[in-house]
Amino acid sequence: MRPSESRGIDRREFVKSAVAIGGMSALSACLGRSGDENDEDDEDDVSIPAGTDDPTSLPDRQHAWNGALPSDDHGNHVLASHHVLLYADYAGDGTPTADERETVESALQSLERAFEWSSEGLLFTVGYSPRYFDRFDEALPDSVDLPEPAALTSFEDPDLDTNDVVVHLASDSGAALLEAEEALKGNTDTVNGVEMDAHLGGVLDLPEEFPGRRTGFVGDGLPAENNDVSGIPDEADVPEESPLYMGFKSGFDKNQATEDGVTIPEGPFAGGTTQHVSRIRLRLDDWYVEQDQEERVSEMFCPAHAEEGTVEGVGENLGDDSGAGDCVETIEEDARSAGRVGHAQKTARARRDGRPVILRRDFDSTDRGEAGLHFLAVQEGISDFVATKTAMAGEDLTDTPTIRQRVNNGIQEYTFVKRRGNFLLPPRTHRALPTPRPE
Amino acid sequence: MNRRTFLAAAAGTTSAGLAGCFGLLETRTAGQPPVLSDRPDAVYHPTHVEGMKMEAMGRSGDFAAAVMYSYPHRFWTVSGSTVTKQSIQSDDAAHIMVAVWDPETEVVVPDAGVSIAVTKDDEVVSEEVIYPMLSQPMGFHYGANFGLDGTANYTVEVDIGGLSGVETTGSFDGRFTESTSIDLDLSYSEAEKENISYENTPDRAGDQTAVSAMTMMDMPLGIAPSADELPGATVGTASTGDAEFVVQAVEADRFGGGTHVAVSPRTPYNGMLIPRLGLEMTVARDDETVFDEELGAVLDPDFGYHYGGDLDALESGDEIELRVTIPPQVARHEGYETAFLSFEPMTLSVA
Repeated sequence: MRPSESRGIDRREFVKSAVAIGGMSALSACLGRSGDENDEDDEDDVSIPAGTDDPTSLPDRQHAWNGALPSDDHGNHVLASHHVLLYADYAGDGTPTADERETVESALQSLERAFEWSSEGLLFTVGYSPRYFDRFDEALPDSVDLPEPAALTSFEDPDLDTNDVVVHLASDSGAALLEAEEALKGNTDTVNGVEMDAHLGGVLDLPEEFPGRRTGFVGDGLPAENNDVSGIPDEADVPEESPLYMGFKSGFDKNQATEDGVTIPEGPFAGGTTQHVSRIRLRLDDWYVEQDQEERVSEMFCPAHAEEGTVEGVGENLGDDSGAGDCVETIEEDARSAGRVGHAQKTARARRDGRPVILRRDFDSTDRGEAGLHFLAVQEGISDFVATKTAMAGEDLTDTPTIRQRVNNGIQEYTFVKRRGNFLLPPRTHRALPTPRPE
Repeated sequence: MNRRTFLAAAAGTTSAGLAGCFGLLETRTAGQPPVLSDRPDAVYHPTHVEGMKMEAMGRSGDFAAAVMYSYPHRFWTVSGSTVTKQSIQSDDAAHIMVAVWDPETEVVVPDAGVSIAVTKDDEVVSEEVIYPMLSQPMGFHYGANFGLDGTANYTVEVDIGGLSGVETTGSFDGRFTESTSIDLDLSYSEAEKENISYENTPDRAGDQTAVSAMTMMDMPLGIAPSADELPGATVGTASTGDAEFVVQAVEADRFGGGTHVAVSPRTPYNGMLIPRLGLEMTVARDDETVFDEELGAVLDPDFGYHYGGDLDALESGDEIELRVTIPPQVARHEGYETAFLSFEPMTLSVA
């Protein structure tokens, strides 16, 4: 390895750690290192592109990220590398005031002025939970499908996130991410050279640490560089080019819902969407030690992919489609003959008009020193997520003796759901402390 | 400190640190005899017999559970017809076993979907789905090898998903479906582990017999009731793949109007129930097929776990054919890994 490459990896690992730790000291360290003139390979050396003074130039959908993300060679949207989720509570009594709404909107617009709406700059969403809307006399309209979070399989017992608000920040630049977070908390007045007009500190109780503050990363090499956490065995060979801990690419364009497809079409929140976020503990000892690559392909995709050698390495050769949809019809047969069924194969059963109904924007994590996955997905209604998760759980397949709740049943032997939360992402016009019936 | 940090720290310190480190890894497993090269395709006496240490029992919801541990074991997982040996990993400290039963009837509950989270001072040491397993002394249980963080008091959270793919009948109807969680204490020590009995058995290894069931334990074992303990009339007992299949015909309201044919597979020698296999039954009467279906898994308070099919009636002269379509999908301790894998059709005549 050339010294510059080595320095590049150290740098990436450093930035990821800084995001995970958070706070002003991490930010200073991040910025401090960026200032090292000799370190020309630094990703954060390049200046972070500035945003816009014209909020109307931005898409009305908060979840309209695809247009702001780069694409890979196959046309798959590539999610930003670094992520922070901030679970916050409304600090006031009763219902939010007009002034508080203005403060929130002003803070968010400051970020949009400071950072380009892109993964090189900053992408973010603000979501509101059922618990948030409970404080109003009016109920949410029927056009919004937002139940309280719940356990979604018979074998999980997650803690249910009931914070009022969740802010999701994403960027390829760890420094930009930390700066945005500190600015929202009121710990810094300027971000990317732009002065903040307001911050959220007086309106929301913002978290400093897990579980309120959650962090993560996704992208080629990051999991392999961050594999010294519990849940990843020493013997595991997480592929260098894998974007996720489990060693395969995901989020193929054809296996994702479209942004149009997940957008609420009518009512006061038309243009919005719903967001489900679960925290999943990964336990990959058996995944990497007991199983070989063929078995992993079988459980991640489908047995036919394993038999036919469809998946090379992390699955770059699959292009823009995992092909698991073609395995759906043989699922019962695979259960009997191959003795297992695949995760993608099961999930592909949940489709509408031939297309998946959820849009995954999930990322790995080292929160609490554990290998984890923040499974974040947006969909028109939470019932779309529930239908997908039910198909994915495959509890209907346990009539076949080979398939048990969690063994030989996709990847459920290695994934432990610890938390779930449901949120509404209103359209940008109503993103600041909305009432249930904004006008 | 996680294990990796511990090992890294130990590697960088004195020889005393290293000695502790090797002590951690050294167990009786180092002395385990190799797997026999000429195993019969049948139940056989293993190369060695290990005891185990009962740690704690508890109950919650519809379930009671116990946690035990022993030396790490090699075991074999079964997926479809494929048997895969799972060797002991260098960091495995113990084989942790969980038994799950109904506290009312003491009937053992297979297929309950069990995972455990092992914590020490609220820090997660491990969390794994543990395998349904068959061993000669214990019969059906759930187990896996685990790395631990040395001598300590651990909490084992036993997470029970609830029955899947099994019908419940009689007083069991509707039970065992709700998931639950039971916290059990596990006080693990290297020294106490070394006190667990261990015997190499070269004189018996490979013999077509089995280690006796640990019936003296204060815990129900998955022993199938004998034919004369089962309700109804015994049609007969068939044998294939070294498993015994007791076929029973019973008429009872809980099974509907007609005759419930209950097939109860068990191991030879110690009669441990064998769950999670695929079984088809054909009943022929005067050249006519009156039943030809896959039998479903049923958990019944009197029959225990069995495979059942319902037809109007069985008549004298009926010919029953049973075919195992999928071998029992349970992991095997040594001595069971070559049995219950390949089956011939079985026929019985109704007297």
